[in-house]
Amino acid sequence: MINQKKHFWPPSDPAVVRTELINNTKKGGSTLRTIVVSLVLLSLLIMVGIIGKVIIDGNDQTQWGYVAAILAFILSATGGAPMVAIAPLIAKASWARPISRIAHIIGSVSIVNIIIMIPILRMLPPLIVDGTRRRSIWFEAPNYSPHFWDTLGLIMLAITGMALLYSSSIPDFAVMRDSSDGIRKKIGKILSRGFIGTTVQWSKLRMRIGILSTLYFFVLVFVHFIISVDLSMSMVPGWKDAIYPMYHTMSGIQGGVASVIILSWIVRKYGKNQNYITINQFWALGRIMFATSLMWIYFFYSAFIVFWYGRSESDAAWLDLLIRGPMMYVFIIAMLCSFIIPWWWLIWNRVRNSFNGPFIGAIIVLIGLLLDRIRLYVPSWSVNPKLIHDKWLTEIPKILYPDIWDVMIFIGSISLVFLIIIGLSRILPLIGVWEIHQLNLLSKPGKFMKAHGIRVAKPD
Amino acid sequence: MSKSILGLFLDPNSAADAMDGLKESGFEQGSFDVLTGTPYPEGAFGEHVPQHRLFRFPAFGAIIGFSASLFLTSATQLAYPLITGGKPILSIFAMLIIMYEMTMLSAVIFSVIGIIFESRLPNIHPSAYDPRITEGYIGVVISVEDKDLNKAKAVFEKTGSEEVKVV
Repeated sequence: MINQKKHFWPPSDPAVVRTELINNTKKGGSTLRTIVVSLVLLSLLIMVGIIGKVIIDGNDQTQWGYVAAILAFILSATGGAPMVAIAPLIAKASWARPISRIAHIIGSVSIVNIIIMIPILRMLPPLIVDGTRRRSIWFEAPNYSPHFWDTLGLIMLAITGMALLYSSSIPDFAVMRDSSDGIRKKIGKILSRGFIGTTVQWSKLRMRIGILSTLYFFVLVFVHFIISVDLSMSMVPGWKDAIYPMYHTMSGIQGGVASVIILSWIVRKYGKNQNYITINQFWALGRIMFATSLMWIYFFYSAFIVFWYGRSESDAAWLDLLIRGPMMYVFIIAMLCSFIIPWWWLIWNRVRNSFNGPFIGAIIVLIGLLLDRIRLYVPSWSVNPKLIHDKWLTEIPKILYPDIWDVMIFIGSISLVFLIIIGLSRILPLIGVWEIHQLNLLSKPGKFMKAHGIRVAKPD
Repeated sequence: MSKSILGLFLDPNSAADAMDGLKESGFEQGSFDVLTGTPYPEGAFGEHVPQHRLFRFPAFGAIIGFSASLFLTSATQLAYPLITGGKPILSIFAMLIIMYEMTMLSAVIFSVIGIIFESRLPNIHPSAYDPRITEGYIGVVISVEDKDLNKAKAVFEKTGSEEVKVV
């Protein structure tokens, strides 16, 4: 017991774990109702914003940069989250088990991306503009290839994310079936699909999670690749950068880690889950976010140095458009928030080894991510469409400020993300019951001579 | 007539002893299984670990998706042969994006189908079960003919079963 306290370990009694975590799905009251009603109303803004923008700016593609930036931001902030559960799974690390469900839930909200993609489909120029094919990764492909394949990619990511969440939740639906009543029991019965914990069922569950996790990673990288290229790079004449899609993916994974930290902090504090989400998770997540912040500058600099020393007219135009031109201040703040501040904040072990340190770092990172996506997508969409066939950009567009419709779409999207997460938390425990059982089974805090440590079993 | 017997255990070692006892009493491997609320490492109870074919679904899906995309991209380019940038008509790098996406899409769809198929969902013939298994109890379940009922019960009682249920 002393060791459990020392290492902030979850309760070891399966009955206690089951009762506490399942009961958390029923907690709420008037505060939660108010939040849900507010989020429902705010989520409607996404539709109002899209309709308003289509009516006002429906014929002007240059006004849609913020919508593309919001799509890229939501994709980056949510899509990378399941990697927090996937990477430790591969390494057989136990610390991530209490937050695996949170990571999977964030990853399953990709449906929001598909909603935002609908107006983008209308505004994204076809491959042949004014009778001439514009430069893209689609070569001689049909005219609306980016529209079709990008949307299919987003749908594929959403399906994989939801399949991953469902697969990893089946044992908890069985727990709900056995220990709840009313609607939750019915939901548990339907969704657990006869799961009773046989050897075959557990064996298949493990393999299923492994397969879907692998596919999710492959799909995520691909979606970042096509979205970043089609929705920003190919909109700018002369922008050729092989590192940019990887930079987009890497910063997306950084954003995913930040989202998991923020939601874990909220679930721990306001969901009364202090016994389950402990300092172990925040310490480990803080280290990962520190590492991804370093990766951010590595990928950015690798791309930047080529343009900086290239000094051709197209390289100079790239610098003017995205770095030192009208978006210079946005770039500086994005750089500060994505790399410099998280670096100097998370470098301190005392900060990483705390609850609030990684949380504050995560908020800063997400602000940086949003500004970075604005820096990349808004100028790309603001480029005069008549210049699309030029060899390089000769006319740098002025800075475009968001209008009321952009703000509505942004607020609506974020609200919808939180609404989906809260909705799922009413059906599923935000901390996997079976994951905690597994943590207790395979890891034990113990005394080693005069020190304390955690023994971890890693069965084949 | 075949019956399903469930022995409930609090101690995992007792459940493992019951599994050994059933084996020693002459019951066939595969006619009994262990039910747990948490995934114990495979073989922890000395249980028979069956082979499954889940990995074949995404692999098969990937092959179908790859083949379909190869056909789609090749056929369309050969049907409309336009030379771009001096590159060959069938340029693999131009085809890779669609081939990758269709391979992945097909692998994902087949994985979902595989999950449904391999899990035999929904479970129409559930065996004996007790909700206490999700509370930490361990169940050992066996399907036996009437004549072997008492033999199986005796094994459960000898190994310290908390309760024996016959369905």
